Amino acid sequence: MALRTVSRRLGSRILNHRSFVASLHSHATSFGFQEVKEEEKSKLVGNVFTNVASSYDIMNDVMSGGLHRLWKERLVGKLSPFAGMKHLDVAGGTGDVAFRIYDAVYSVKRRALQKVDEASLEETQIYVCDINPNMLNVGKQRAAERGLRDNKSLVWVEGDAEALSFDDNSMDGYTIAFGIRNVTHIEKALAEAYRVLKRGGRFLCLELSHVEIPIFKNLYDLYSFQVIPNLGELIAGDRESYQYLVESVRRFPPQERFASMIADAGFEKVEYENLVGGVVAIHSAIKL
Amino acid sequence: MYRTAAKRLLAGGGITTTRLLRLPKLRSTIIPSSYTSGLCTSSIGGNTESPMGNQSVNPNQSGPTASSSTGTGEGQRRHESRKPRAEFQEEQARVLSASLRHVPRLGWTEEAMMAGSRDVGVSPSIVGSFSRKEAALVEFFMDECLQLLMDRIDSGLDLQNLIPSERISKLIRIRLEMQVPYMSKWPQALSIQAHPLNVPTSFKQRAMLVDEIWHAVGDGASDLDWYVKRTILGGVYSTTEIYMLTDDSLEHRDTWAFLDDRVKDAFDLKKSIQEAKYFAEDIGAGVGKSVQGLMNGVMQTMSRRSGGSAF
Repeated sequence: MALRTVSRRLGSRILNHRSFVASLHSHATSFGFQEVKEEEKSKLVGNVFTNVASSYDIMNDVMSGGLHRLWKERLVGKLSPFAGMKHLDVAGGTGDVAFRIYDAVYSVKRRALQKVDEASLEETQIYVCDINPNMLNVGKQRAAERGLRDNKSLVWVEGDAEALSFDDNSMDGYTIAFGIRNVTHIEKALAEAYRVLKRGGRFLCLELSHVEIPIFKNLYDLYSFQVIPNLGELIAGDRESYQYLVESVRRFPPQERFASMIADAGFEKVEYENLVGGVVAIHSAIKL
Repeated sequence: MYRTAAKRLLAGGGITTTRLLRLPKLRSTIIPSSYTSGLCTSSIGGNTESPMGNQSVNPNQSGPTASSSTGTGEGQRRHESRKPRAEFQEEQARVLSASLRHVPRLGWTEEAMMAGSRDVGVSPSIVGSFSRKEAALVEFFMDECLQLLMDRIDSGLDLQNLIPSERISKLIRIRLEMQVPYMSKWPQALSIQAHPLNVPTSFKQRAMLVDEIWHAVGDGASDLDWYVKRTILGGVYSTTEIYMLTDDSLEHRDTWAFLDDRVKDAFDLKKSIQEAKYFAEDIGAGVGKSVQGLMNGVMQTMSRRSGGSAF
């Protein structure tokens, strides 16, 4: 709808400005398989997520067959949250990862096993940052449903991953789940992550990534390009957004390249773990 | 042969030898110009060649759903950073070393390590990145103790005037005394070491320890005896260690008495095995002779009889 008109306008703009191709390419970035101007990308992404916000969670379940829950569990498991930690979840709009971290810290079983200081429990702060207010609203709604509406530990912040409003060296942990491929300048987001983390703080990124296994790759491509956009149309009523989604996955750097980008930002002990043969990868690193 | 390997292993991560860690870093700051576009999986000298034995275990023990592959990379900066970049292994060693102080109170747990990280001035999040968390702490301690033992041996421990069994006793005693401050929490450490995931490393560490002790005692055997000796000593060490857990006597006198008895048993066992061997040979010889005599007698009787009964 909105997306369709934007892309049509964009298409005509590209046609008219063929003579300005040189200047367009020098500040162009990818929006799925399209080339768009950088300033456009964040607007286009914003439109995508405004459209999908309400059905985001359902679509996640349908597209991944419920697996995305396991992936997020694994992400949080790797993080090993502790009481009193200051954590930042970027692009975490609907709060999946944030809620899991909250549960991990506050779980009664864990508190029984470990001697947790109640005072430090109070200090726990989980910031959920998202550039799109619609996604944040869905998250706040889910928090209210869980009875966490007025909980001091969960803080919902509207912000841009490339220009965070948090202080330097203020966070113990930084996660970004299925968000970094939507960022226009990945290096900037990584630099910001480096900036806000404390010494010893961990960076964890869960993202759809590249599959190399021969036959599985073909099946995965088939599923991505044939099934998912149709599902998007059927369930969310929005084919283009999901077309954008699968295209943006292909455009995102492969695991090794992304790992080196993380290392370039200054992180140490950069590692990645492939899940489901590479469909999803968890990159982890430490700021020292 | 373990000794040189141990030295290499521990030099990479021991808190006492910092020289070896400085050297690779120097190399790394000179190199940048020869690399392009920041992509550099630099084997920063010490890190890949002499991994800190247990701590560098890759996170490959993941669940059945995850086919994990790990890649490590450390970027090279074109411009030098103002503060020296601490390497992860170094940082981990510092945190673990600081954590040991908290162990008697908090046990071999994540809490102790988080307290240690706070002491060092690092966010407790770093503990989340240690592989097999509590095991990392226990293994660090075991390595440290082994290093201390080796240092004590090298610094001229007087073993010359003692007979082998006394030497072994003394060495084991020195080693076990290092655990005394942590005795209240040692059962936990033992159970962590016995966990299936951790068994390979803890077994290796004990093997190195036992090998080190025999080496110091002056053993040079390299045949089947080598395994037998180490197995027996391993048994003596473990049983003494466990006895020590419930020993309340003054200065663990009972434990040392127990240790001396066990070592004596072990040496007696060796003698007994030898005696049993000779005994068996003698019996064999004796039986052989008597069987032979019997057979001869039988043959003679038969031949006489057959001779006689031939009509």
